[in-house]
Amino acid sequence: MPISRRNLFKAGIAAGTALSIPSVLRAQTMPTAARTVRMVKEDLRVFDPIWTATNITADHGMAIYDTLFALDSKFKPQPQMVGKWGVSDDKKTYTFELRDGLGWHDGTPVTAADCVASIRRWGQVAPGGQLLMEQARDISKKDDKTFTIALKEPLGLLIDILADLTPPCLFIMREKDASLSATEQVSTRIGSGPFKFNEALLRPGASYTYDRNEQYVPRKEAPDGFAGGKVVKVDRVVWDNISDQQTAFAALQAGEIEFLQHPPVDFFSVIESDPNLELPVLDRTGKDMLLRLNFLQKPFDNVKARQAMLHLIDQEAFMRVMVPDPKYVTTVTSIFGDETLVSNDENTGWYKKGGDPEKARQLFKEAGYAGEKVVILQSTDWAASNNGSQFLAAELRKIGVNAELAPSDWGGLTTRRANKGPVENGGWNMFITSEADYSLGNLLATPLLLANGDKAWYGWPKNDEYEALRAKWASVETLEERKALARKMQGIWWDFVGDVRLGKYIEPIAHRKTITGLIGMPQIVPMWNMQKTSA
Amino acid sequence: MAAYILRRLVSTVAVMAIVGIFIFLLLRLAPGDPAAIIAGRSATEEIIAGIREQLGLNDPMPVQFLRWVRDMLGGDFGTSIFAGRPVLELISQRLEPTLSLSILTMILAVTVGVSFGILAAWRTGGIVDRLLAAFSALGYSVPVFVSGYFLIYFFAIRTHWLPVQGYVPIDSGLGPWFVHLILPTVALSLAYIAFIARVTRASMLEVLSEDYMRTAAAKGASSYAMLFHHALKNAGVPILTVIGISFAYLIGGVVLTETVFNIPGIGRLVVDAINNRDYPIIQSVLILTSGLYVLVNLTIDLAYTLIDPRIRY
Amino acid sequence: MTLLSAPVEAVPMGRLQLSYLPRLARRHPLVLIGGGLLVLLIILALAAPLYAGDPVNIDPFKRLEPPSAEMWFGSDNLGRDVFARTIFGARISLMVGLISAACAAFAGLLIGVIAGYSRSFDNVVMRVMDGLMSIPTILLAIALISLTGPGIGILIVAIAIPETPAVARLVRSVVLSVRERPYVEAALCGGARLPRVLWRHILPSTIPALMVQGATVCASAIMTEAGLSFLGVGVPPEIPSWGNMISSSRLYLAIAPLTIFAPGICLAVTVLAVNLFGDGLRDMFDPRTRRRR
Repeated sequence: MPISRRNLFKAGIAAGTALSIPSVLRAQTMPTAARTVRMVKEDLRVFDPIWTATNITADHGMAIYDTLFALDSKFKPQPQMVGKWGVSDDKKTYTFELRDGLGWHDGTPVTAADCVASIRRWGQVAPGGQLLMEQARDISKKDDKTFTIALKEPLGLLIDILADLTPPCLFIMREKDASLSATEQVSTRIGSGPFKFNEALLRPGASYTYDRNEQYVPRKEAPDGFAGGKVVKVDRVVWDNISDQQTAFAALQAGEIEFLQHPPVDFFSVIESDPNLELPVLDRTGKDMLLRLNFLQKPFDNVKARQAMLHLIDQEAFMRVMVPDPKYVTTVTSIFGDETLVSNDENTGWYKKGGDPEKARQLFKEAGYAGEKVVILQSTDWAASNNGSQFLAAELRKIGVNAELAPSDWGGLTTRRANKGPVENGGWNMFITSEADYSLGNLLATPLLLANGDKAWYGWPKNDEYEALRAKWASVETLEERKALARKMQGIWWDFVGDVRLGKYIEPIAHRKTITGLIGMPQIVPMWNMQKTSA
Repeated sequence: MAAYILRRLVSTVAVMAIVGIFIFLLLRLAPGDPAAIIAGRSATEEIIAGIREQLGLNDPMPVQFLRWVRDMLGGDFGTSIFAGRPVLELISQRLEPTLSLSILTMILAVTVGVSFGILAAWRTGGIVDRLLAAFSALGYSVPVFVSGYFLIYFFAIRTHWLPVQGYVPIDSGLGPWFVHLILPTVALSLAYIAFIARVTRASMLEVLSEDYMRTAAAKGASSYAMLFHHALKNAGVPILTVIGISFAYLIGGVVLTETVFNIPGIGRLVVDAINNRDYPIIQSVLILTSGLYVLVNLTIDLAYTLIDPRIRY
Repeated sequence: MTLLSAPVEAVPMGRLQLSYLPRLARRHPLVLIGGGLLVLLIILALAAPLYAGDPVNIDPFKRLEPPSAEMWFGSDNLGRDVFARTIFGARISLMVGLISAACAAFAGLLIGVIAGYSRSFDNVVMRVMDGLMSIPTILLAIALISLTGPGIGILIVAIAIPETPAVARLVRSVVLSVRERPYVEAALCGGARLPRVLWRHILPSTIPALMVQGATVCASAIMTEAGLSFLGVGVPPEIPSWGNMISSSRLYLAIAPLTIFAPGICLAVTVLAVNLFGDGLRDMFDPRTRRRR
């Protein structure tokens, strides 16, 4: 085939841009506005998705890193970076082989050693990873593309654990990054994912830019959840940080941005009536709001007082305060979340409706409550906690409980909640928090369902009977058995009242109609497959 | 004279040292743990403790303080705990919006404020003077976030004449940059216009009542020449002082204005940093702003002695 | 707000003589207007429980309602009565403003008088004052408040501390000039003890300047409180304050503008009243103004 000079010239440019011109220049000249998507999410404060467990950093991780396995839209794990894998007959040794074409953004190939180091680092902090590290006899590379995990005992959930999407997720990093301790931040942003992080355009606190990774070789399968081929259909995605919701919404209406992850609830009707905008739900599983009670201090060291809270809380009213649009709110009574595989209704009938102040007042009395101060930690920079805590205090005062709000920003709250002492010494009695509904269905992903006293999450619930059941969780073989176990655990949990649920919120996102192909999954918004049409 | 300058410099260094110790102690005594914020909402205590150790937050306070001072003297203002970038780089990225807003505000405040002051001094007690007095009292009393929201409501939400909020970098076009800065500038200038107008009027009156001005008037100098040639020149020193101090003080108003109009400047940077307990950023911004203030004051004092030989210290 | 204290001349203004007050007030209507408005606001604020309704009752099912006979200014995003909150907000603003002004005036007076008399103390303390003055008020206050989290007590301290240096400087300069006066020197030579001289001769001469400066401090304290609450670090969110109201209603400017305008206008009027009062006092005490008229 004769090569025309023009084609040769073009080829030269292509090669040149790929090899010699620094990525800075290329990034600044290539993408046009028509192939750039501007999104407003939260502020990406931290870049290392293992060091921090926030959703926004997991979003960033999902863009620039790749994963060994990935959940499809039915939450079943599918191989992503892994090409072939197998398990030995005694179910104790897993062998994984990486698929072809995987390369780091710096041009070097992804190796099995990278994967082993990444698993070890993630295993220091992720609850599922910690379990894996306990059970593992050996994790090592066999050759450049193969590694094995050898277990002491069979672990039926191994692949589910590797694929889990609750942050911190198992993102594969270069060996030299992953050899840092999990409590030390990785300072480079080089992954093998479908997007490259544009360092030159980084404006911490203001904007973060992702360019399509031209070298990325997607799987052949169609995209399905986080599984399947990650085909990037835009040149560039920019995350603008607009902290003011009103401004962000105005920018969306004006077309300055195309995607708004947290549209203000009071503007839902405006969005729905705007011909240029859509308000779809990407995360159908939603978020549960919870109230943590301090088991170590009066009055909630007494189970009667904790039961009183279950009777007092009217989830509908609470959710109306925290998330004012009833269309996106449901009540939730299962400790395993509202819509997970192990959600159930065991032992919920007795308080189900809530909103019974008289019963609550009586139970507080039976608990021997005598007007002691009840301190509610209130986070003033998180609207749901700010408003919900005020409502909680008002409801408690109505039944004669001496509720006192302790307002601070979330940063201040994190310090105070670690104090196990009495309120006179800077301790606390309750605070509102949230957890993804999806994560509550997976005991290996959330620390909120522990009841081992001092080692449990803030509030330090303690119940030995419950803990004995929980120990069996990982070794249960079938889903049916796990469901039965979950029912038993929930029965006990609601007897000793490990925490109190306030309701579930499904948050829609807002985007302009020019954006199509968004993939709906819990926790993380993937940016591949997304397309931008002209106007 | 030289002795005075030396003494002044020494005391400036002392002031900065006091400020440094004060800021450091203030931040470290405050509860709030960047490690817990980094680790995320449902992280466990062990993970948080690990991060804290790595960040060096468990070192004794004097060690942390000396490390900070040593690095700062070497021009290293530290690295943001969250962004992992040098603080100076973060500050310089946020400098453009803040400087744009500050400079436009000072231009507007000085031109309008000085003109108002001269107008008022020209006919003391007249209708213009009274109107301006009323305006200045009002401008002085309306906080920037109140005037800001009024401006937004009437000039952006109701009429769509101007953008609601936001900032456009100057290299994306002078037009959009300016248009986005109109409302914030007007909101922030009100107090400064009032302030500068007052000082100008007072200084002008002072000068106009001097004997040589009366002589000039008696000799038949035109009121134009009186105001601009003689009076303004002599009233210039206090007016310049006030402008200098205003500029150094602007940062406080900038914090609020940037919040109202969502401008990604220094003000937002430091408020976010306080929420995150990102100590290196807070320390650096506080020390730099107070350094700027001290520097402006020093310059003004020294300039005084040069300009006006009557001033002795 | 940034606190540009309006220039107060540091010259001693002669001793305050109470018998002149009524006549001077007639000559200086600003004192009457500002003072009257201020007294009216204080009365309205104190009487709030008698007529304003419940400012903290949350009704999740009555959010962002338009003005009605029941709720004159409508309701906010938690279904609370905006009118009641606005009226009760005056209590917080005035209380925080007046108390922090009093604290700053007292601390400033103490420091200023001692600094004006003791050379060694002067050098150290005035450098500390310079340092405090050099940190932007609002940032200093935010940092101070982060020590304990939001609360009225810490708020007052955090507002008073940055305001103190200006008062101290002013008082110091008055003391410095007064102590050279013949009658003071005469008193000292005559064997009067220093505390007595301070009390009898020096303190009274600082009062006019202190009152004028006090009004300025009060106005800026009210603005600082509102600004800090607006930034979410001032008065605890539960307590109705104008800054809090504006802050929590920011999102609803287009839907329910009264939720922002009502507290905004009240805030401006209150600060205006204090400023007018202060201006009036300044004119009244300033010998040069008196001479000119």
